[in-house]
Amino acid sequence: MMAPLLAIEDLSIAYQLGDGRDAEAISGFSLHLERGRIVGIVGQSGAGKSTIGKAILGLMGDNARITGGTIALDGTDITRFSEARFAAIRGKRIGYIYQNPMTALNPVLSIGEQLIEAIEANTTRRGGDARAYAVELLKSAEVTHAEERLAKYPHQLSGGLCQRIVFAIAIAAQPDLIIADEPTTALDVTVQKAVLATLKKLAREKQISIVLITHDMGVVAQMCDGVSVLWRGRLVEHGPTAQVIGAPRERYTRDLMAAIPTVDHKRARFDVLDSFEDTPGRRRGIAFLKSGIAAGRDGQSLLSIRNLSKTFDAQGGRGTSGGFRALDGVAFEVFAGETLGIVGESGSGKSTIGRAILGLVEPDAGASIAFQGRPIAEMRGRRDRVALSRSLQCIFQDPYSSLNPRMNAGTNITYGIVAQGLVSRAEAKVLAQDLLEVVGLPRAAAGKMPHAFSGGERQRIGIARALAFRPELIFCDEPTSALDVTVQAEILNLMKELQETLGLTLVFVSHDLAVVRQMCDRVIVMRAGRMVEEGNADEVLTAPRETYTRDLLAAMPRIAFEDA
Amino acid sequence: MAEADHGHRCGRTDETMTNFILRRLGQSIILLLIMSVLVFAGMYVISDPVAVMAGEDATEADRQALARSFGLDQPLPIQYLTFLGKIVQGDFGTSFVYGRPVLALIFERLPATLEVVFLAILVGLAVGIPLGIYSGLNRKKAPTKVISFGTTVGYSIPNFWQALLFILVFAVWLRVLPASGRGPTTEIFGVGWSVFNAEGLRYVILPAANLAVALICMQTRLARSGTQEVMYQDYMMFARAKGIARSRLIGRHLLRNILIPIVTITGLELGTLIAFSTVTETVFSWPGIGKLLLDSIYRSDRPVVVAYMILATLMFVLINLVADIIYAILDPRIRYS
Ligand SMILES: Nc1ncnc2c1ncn2[C@@H]1O[C@H](COP(=O)(O)OP(=O)(O)OP(=O)(O)O)[C@@H](O)[C@H]1O
Ligand SMILES: [Mg+2]
Repeated sequence: MMAPLLAIEDLSIAYQLGDGRDAEAISGFSLHLERGRIVGIVGQSGAGKSTIGKAILGLMGDNARITGGTIALDGTDITRFSEARFAAIRGKRIGYIYQNPMTALNPVLSIGEQLIEAIEANTTRRGGDARAYAVELLKSAEVTHAEERLAKYPHQLSGGLCQRIVFAIAIAAQPDLIIADEPTTALDVTVQKAVLATLKKLAREKQISIVLITHDMGVVAQMCDGVSVLWRGRLVEHGPTAQVIGAPRERYTRDLMAAIPTVDHKRARFDVLDSFEDTPGRRRGIAFLKSGIAAGRDGQSLLSIRNLSKTFDAQGGRGTSGGFRALDGVAFEVFAGETLGIVGESGSGKSTIGRAILGLVEPDAGASIAFQGRPIAEMRGRRDRVALSRSLQCIFQDPYSSLNPRMNAGTNITYGIVAQGLVSRAEAKVLAQDLLEVVGLPRAAAGKMPHAFSGGERQRIGIARALAFRPELIFCDEPTSALDVTVQAEILNLMKELQETLGLTLVFVSHDLAVVRQMCDRVIVMRAGRMVEEGNADEVLTAPRETYTRDLLAAMPRIAFEDA
Repeated sequence: MAEADHGHRCGRTDETMTNFILRRLGQSIILLLIMSVLVFAGMYVISDPVAVMAGEDATEADRQALARSFGLDQPLPIQYLTFLGKIVQGDFGTSFVYGRPVLALIFERLPATLEVVFLAILVGLAVGIPLGIYSGLNRKKAPTKVISFGTTVGYSIPNFWQALLFILVFAVWLRVLPASGRGPTTEIFGVGWSVFNAEGLRYVILPAANLAVALICMQTRLARSGTQEVMYQDYMMFARAKGIARSRLIGRHLLRNILIPIVTITGLELGTLIAFSTVTETVFSWPGIGKLLLDSIYRSDRPVVVAYMILATLMFVLINLVADIIYAILDPRIRYS
């Protein structure tokens, strides 16, 4: 019998912390993967999933150390490989697809350069030949207008397109194995499904095995032959997907399945398991939040948007004139104390609404955005700006680029409020630690730098920072996309609680219609810059009037089985 | 599938390049006017050129004749307006001391300054960036400690003191390089340059090295902090995962990103060096414009000082503009927004 393509035996990994202590991230993990198969690794945020993926590629940071076990690729142990030997297998034998496509590509180099350099590094193709192959790869990754994309830069493309480009890079040298770390976390549901289908197609066609890291059971159900469940660095269960999802043996897995919110019915709270510890610090943090958020005057209009349109200039526009209408006559009100959901497929303009509210993009003439009755455009003085940023905060989908990489987590959380004089420097330190506990991270995490956190942990730091302002309205752009259901439940419950007791107002952009169903009172459905449907969340998500909304609902990945 | 390719992730409101340049030029003109008033008034308060030019034993009649011949008997606002009117026509006046057009005087000295400054900047970049990248990548290694000690020392020893040390070591003890003056020049496009011949180059080395020390320290620090920041970005890890060569990883992915702040700050530094390398030029008796400025202040040569400050302001404005344009070229996120 042939050795499996990948055999991980009893792997343990530790990170050395700033104070010299070791923190064990993975203990005694094993995994076997045959050629042409897809295996999923699921688990909580911070469970150690990405750490395993990086270990296979030798990409762990300087402070990580493999403390035991082996990783065998085709029978060869790679745990003791030098950087040079790893370089020889990276890209060629093992491809990598990264958690966040927006940050995986270098912002200052063109798509073409980044794809072609991978081709030239790992295949014998050069120059024009490599270029032609690049176009071919983009086409097989289902990138539209492949030829033109080569001259573009990452920020000009949507997340879905960036991820397809990352796929093209990963398959360039026809590797045996791809490590796909949360390939669709940052993408909308409609795009997510198509992107996963592309990945599956590529794997089948080219006989590539995939280690698929995710926190989303729906993705596992759609993609994987087998699945391993990880909990705090330990393997709790593994087996064929149908068995683990359909008849989980371990309690943790059962709870995990039960905690998945559904779009079909609404509960008062998200189900919580493995709940955050109720420490004095956490209580203090929550008390801080509660004491400051201005009590909402329920029902009053807080944010009023009229006739909001945004046309982007056609970029590098050869031939095409006019421009691109990202938003077209959008108008809605947000009332104090409510949660308004905004849903719609990728590119439908959801995030652009948020950026217009925050003043990051200039809306077309004729638009009016008023906060508490005052047009935001008029609030230009320093006083007004400070007041506005105090009462209007946002939580971004992409947590890493919104954190300052040079400051530790604690400072990241509090520098805004310290700069505005809302708390003193002395109080800030303890407050940051309290708030970390509020979002389920240990106090000690305050001293770590952003890069030493997992994807979900980074996102929680961003949430803590926004909450620290104790704002009246939070614009949440996919706030929990990188979180597994259990941590997501905690965070969303916290937001719900703050809302119920204090009248915090939320505008909630999400691709997860189930979450929207649980969180929101009203929803707006966006399509190509226009509002197609608006109404009570229960009605819109159970009995939609528009076919487009029905399509969105149908595209939701559900825990159902594809025939294998 | 509607995957629109309109990322627009950067938080800038749209503004066209032409608009931007026009607005900047408008601001610059106001800045130049303010500068001219300040300098003009400042020079008037500080000293009386007639007294300096006329000397100790001039009679009152001599002084008045002298004042009249230079227009110095007019009321101050009139003097200023006359001066401004001439500047607009490109006439910066005549030096009291040399009796020659100021502009010619400055441009005659400019090449000497330019060659020292550009050499120093090149050396600064060529040495500082690699040292900075190295120490950013190898934070715990011994050479990094040496480099960071070196930059601290380099920053803290005053410029003129370094210059004296250089002269002592290379000119007095080792006797390998000349201590002062400018060597023979070679004519290129009608301008004399000393960097283009071996003997002339020997004279340039010490003043250029003197300016380069601070630059090396600055570039090293910029490159180091840039490297530490960029190194941990997701795209750097992803680039490693692609299996590309380390040289490409550093020479392209890293460098292109850290270059952005370096270009901006070097641009500003360039202006300061060209206009105000007075200490270095004085210590090495280098006949550049910095020395001209110092001599002119000393002798109350008002037209030279005023013209000098206005031209320097103009240069700063232009350099800033060029740096912004280069910035946009280096950073596509700005270019396309
Ligand atoms: N460089 C590092 N230094 C110290 N600790 C680290 C470092 N990288 C990760 N960790 C810690 O190791 C643990 C596992 O992180 P990992 O990124 O593997 O989690 P994950 O399962 O991928 O989570 P997510 O779903 O949120 O991405 C986390 O608690 C994280 O804080
Ligand atoms: Mg991860």
